Amino acid sequence: MLFLIAPAAIVLACFEIIPILIGMNASFRDWSLVNPQRTWVGLKQYVAVFTDPVFLKIVLPNTFLLMTASVGLSLAFGLALASLLNRPFFGRAVVRTIILLPLTIAPVITSTMIRWSFNDQFGVITNFLSFLGLADIGWLSDRWPSFALVIMTDIWIWTPWFTIILLAALQGLPPEPFEAARIDAATPWCIFRRITMPMLRPVIIVCVLIRAIDAFRTFDQVWILTGGGPARSTEVFSVYTYVLAFVDLDIGRGAAAAGVGAIIMLFVGGVLYKLVNRSVDVSR
Amino acid sequence: MIALALDGLRRAIFAIGIVAIFVLFVGPIMILGVTSVRPASGAFYIWRGTNFTLNNFVEVLHQSQVVEAMWNSFVLSTLATILSLGITVGSGYMLSRFGGWIQRSWFATIYVFRTVPYISWVLPLYLVNTRLGIYDTYLGLLLPHIAVHVCFFSWLMKGFFDGVNPSMEYAALIDGCTRWGAFCRVALPAAMPGIAALAILCWLSTWNEFLFALILSGKRTPLITSTMAQFVTETGTEWNLMSATAVLAMLPALLVTIFGQKYVIRGLRM
Repeated sequence: MLFLIAPAAIVLACFEIIPILIGMNASFRDWSLVNPQRTWVGLKQYVAVFTDPVFLKIVLPNTFLLMTASVGLSLAFGLALASLLNRPFFGRAVVRTIILLPLTIAPVITSTMIRWSFNDQFGVITNFLSFLGLADIGWLSDRWPSFALVIMTDIWIWTPWFTIILLAALQGLPPEPFEAARIDAATPWCIFRRITMPMLRPVIIVCVLIRAIDAFRTFDQVWILTGGGPARSTEVFSVYTYVLAFVDLDIGRGAAAAGVGAIIMLFVGGVLYKLVNRSVDVSR
Repeated sequence: MIALALDGLRRAIFAIGIVAIFVLFVGPIMILGVTSVRPASGAFYIWRGTNFTLNNFVEVLHQSQVVEAMWNSFVLSTLATILSLGITVGSGYMLSRFGGWIQRSWFATIYVFRTVPYISWVLPLYLVNTRLGIYDTYLGLLLPHIAVHVCFFSWLMKGFFDGVNPSMEYAALIDGCTRWGAFCRVALPAAMPGIAALAILCWLSTWNEFLFALILSGKRTPLITSTMAQFVTETGTEWNLMSATAVLAMLPALLVTIFGQKYVIRGLRM
C-alpha cells in the first residue's frame, strides 16, 4: 500500500515540501543574489513585509478584491449562461465548443490579446469605445481601469469553467420538482430561487472553494497586462513576491512574503474546507 | 396576442444572448487572428485596409528561439503528462481503496499542499534547481511540473476510482487474479475515460503554464509562454509578429477544443 503512494510522495517531498522548508530558512536570513553572506536576521524580513505600506494598503486589498470579484462574478455569469444553455436549441453544440475556448487558451495569450485590444492608440476596443464617446478611460494607465481590466480578464477566463460544471449539474437534476412547481404556477424566477439554487448548492460550494484557492495565486494575467503598474497600484500577492525575489533580487524578503502568503492561504483553505463540509452535510 | 408577443420577445432576448456569447468569447481571439495576418504597416488599425499576408508566420517560424520554445514545450508537456498521470494513478487508487492513518494523513497532506500558492514554492525551487545544477534543463523543468500536479491529480484519481465498484475487483480476486492483476485488468480500464480526459487537460495546462516557465527556464530551454511574455514586454511594438506567435502557441488549444471537446468537458466536470 505504501509503494502505491511512494513515487507521488517522493516527488512531492523533493520538489514541494523541501523547497518550502528551504524558503522558510531563507525568509529568516538577509539573503540576496548579489550578496553571498546569508546572515541570520530572525523575524526582520517578516516585520519588513508586514510594515510595508504597499503590502498592507495595496497588495492585500487587491488580492482579496480580485478573489471575491472574480469568483463572485464568474459564478454569477456562469450560472446565467448555464441556465441559458440548459435547453435544446439550434447550434447548441457550437456554442458549447466556443465557451470552452477561454479555458484552453493560455492566460498569457489571453492577456496579450486583451492588452492589444485595449492599447491606448491602436486597440480595437479602445477605438470602438471612443467611437461610442468613451474616449478618455485610462485603460492600463490609471489604477482602477487597469485593475478592472485584470478582473474582467479573469472573469473571461473562468466564467466558462463555472458554466460547464453548472450546466452538467443542471442536466443531472431530477425533472419532477420542476414539473410540480410549474403545475402549481410558480414563476420562473421563483422556480430558480426555490428549487434550482438549493439543489445546485453543493456543486456551487465546491466550485467556489476550488476557485477561491486558485484565485489567490493569480499571476499570469496581472503580470502580462499591467506588470503590477501603474506605480505598483495593481500588484497582487504573487506579483509582489515575484518582484521582491526576482526583480529586486532580495531572496530573503521575497521568501518572507511567500511565507506570509502560504500561511494566509493555509488559514483560508482550512476555513473554507470546514465551511464546505458543514454546508454540504446540511444540504444533503 | 399578448402571449404571442411575449413569446417573440423571449425568443429575441434568447437570440441576443447567444450572439453576445459569440461576440464576447470569439471577439478577442478574432482580433488577435486578424492582426496576425496583417502586414507590419497594417497591424495598427486592423479594421481598415484589405491587405492580408502569411509572412508574419514565415518570419516567426524562421526565428530559432520560437521554434525551439515550441519544441521544448511540446516535449515537456508530453513527458509531464505521462509521468504525472503515472505516479498519481497509484496514489489515487490507494486513497480510494485503503483506509487507516496513512491514507488519512496522505489525504490531509495533498489538501494542505494544494492550497499553498505556487509562488511560495517556485521561489525556493529556483534555489534548489541552481544548487542541484538542473536549472534551465529538461529535468529541472519536468520534475517541478510533475510535483505541481501530484496533489490535485491524486484527489481527482481518487474520485475516478470511487466511481468504480470494488466488488468487481473482489470478483476478479476470487477468480484467481492477484491484487495487482485486479487493479490492471478491472479498476484501471473502468477508470480509463476519466484518466484520458485528465491527460488532455494536463497536457494543455503544462503547455499553457507560465510562472514556472518564467522562473525555471532560461536561454537554453526556452518555453513558449515565457518566450511570448518576452515579446510582449521587450519588442512590444511588433504586434503583427507577436500575434502570429500567439496564434501558433494557441494552435494546440484550438485543436483540442474542436476535436477533443467531449473529453475536455468530461475532465472539467470532475
